[in-house]
Amino acid sequence: MLPQIEACIPALRRYAAALLRSRQDADDLVHDCLVRALDKLHTRRDDGDIRAWLFAIMHNLFISQRRRSVVRPDSAPLGEQAEIFGVRADQESSLLYREVVRELNGLPEEQRQVILLVSVEDLSYTEVARVLGIPVGTVMSRLSRGRERLRRAAQEPVRSGLRRVK
Amino acid sequence: MNQPVRPISEEDLHAFVDGQIDAERRREIEIYLRERPDAAERVATDIAQRAALREAFALHAQQPLPPQLNLTRLVEQRLARRRAPWRTAAMVLLTLGLGVGGGWWAGSRQPTGISALAREAAMNFAVYAVDPRRPVEISVAHREEMAHWLSRRLDHPVAPPDLSAAGYELLGGRLSASPHGAAALFVYQDAAGRRLIIYVRPMATGRETTAIQPIEAGKLDGCAWIDQGIGYSLVAAGDYPKLLELSRHVRQEVRARG
Repeated sequence: MLPQIEACIPALRRYAAALLRSRQDADDLVHDCLVRALDKLHTRRDDGDIRAWLFAIMHNLFISQRRRSVVRPDSAPLGEQAEIFGVRADQESSLLYREVVRELNGLPEEQRQVILLVSVEDLSYTEVARVLGIPVGTVMSRLSRGRERLRRAAQEPVRSGLRRVK
Repeated sequence: MNQPVRPISEEDLHAFVDGQIDAERRREIEIYLRERPDAAERVATDIAQRAALREAFALHAQQPLPPQLNLTRLVEQRLARRRAPWRTAAMVLLTLGLGVGGGWWAGSRQPTGISALAREAAMNFAVYAVDPRRPVEISVAHREEMAHWLSRRLDHPVAPPDLSAAGYELLGGRLSASPHGAAALFVYQDAAGRRLIIYVRPMATGRETTAIQPIEAGKLDGCAWIDQGIGYSLVAAGDYPKLLELSRHVRQEVRARG
């Protein structure tokens, strides 16, 4: 089962970094997630759905950390995107990336999580529901509301850019 | 499959964007979108944004892993953590060894009474409880037999107290030697593999009863007390408040048993 877990680490880092907007905090969260997963490994009977299982562990850790911390990531300044996305700065499409990420970061966290898990992590709607501990219907409505807002935001200046990517 | 085209819902459009849809439904939606420029533009925007997000965050998944996220290393650290109690106990033994040379026996006077009891308990922990494979002579499977045998050897009724409520399961027990004859040792273990012992032997004198007293030997903590001339000591690595609570529980249980 360890190789399957190992294969998920890059995705866990990606999701954590998007969620926390800080690479260091993200890696700390992933570390705690892996430690917890190793602790709970004996409770698993098979290899099925390791990915969703790991994301669920990480989500729960994130929630409990959030509860404990005084500073809520939501209220923190957006931070300098250059730190996280600077590597792409020389690319033609970097403006578009920055726009979408900025819009994403402007979304309420519950919508942001769903969009990231669905769009970036390719989890099925059912898996997302399991990871976040919410009904599938709620996943769908958060996805709808989140995408609606992203779409509206895109309807102004970078419209042509969005077309080009497609 | 043969039914007429189902109405296209909001959810269908998302599933289309995310590719969470079967081929047939996909075709139906494509036909639908051809006739609905509004919906088609909406879907196109969603698909473009989805792709942009994937691209934007792709880098995070491509960075080399820092050592703290090396799974092999994490597994090793975890094993080391689980071994830690034994390592700690080895240090205790060393501390006791120094104690022997440096002061405890200075003037050839052995500790007596409750401090002797505590010292024997710590030694028993260091020698028996730390043995990963054979900490006990008689396993918990023969609990009754063990209690009977130890009671006979100590010439006093003894039985392993139940600490399961605190997360410590009995592994078993053994007969041990003390300056005052036979002693009983019960070894427990919690879910994390940490061990705890209860050491029991008759005291040399009378039917004395004392309060529960804290003991400390190196990294070990615990308590010792005398009840009606029988000495008890409970020892484990660390967390004195919890050990004190357990000691109170043991004392009560022993008294209740009469």
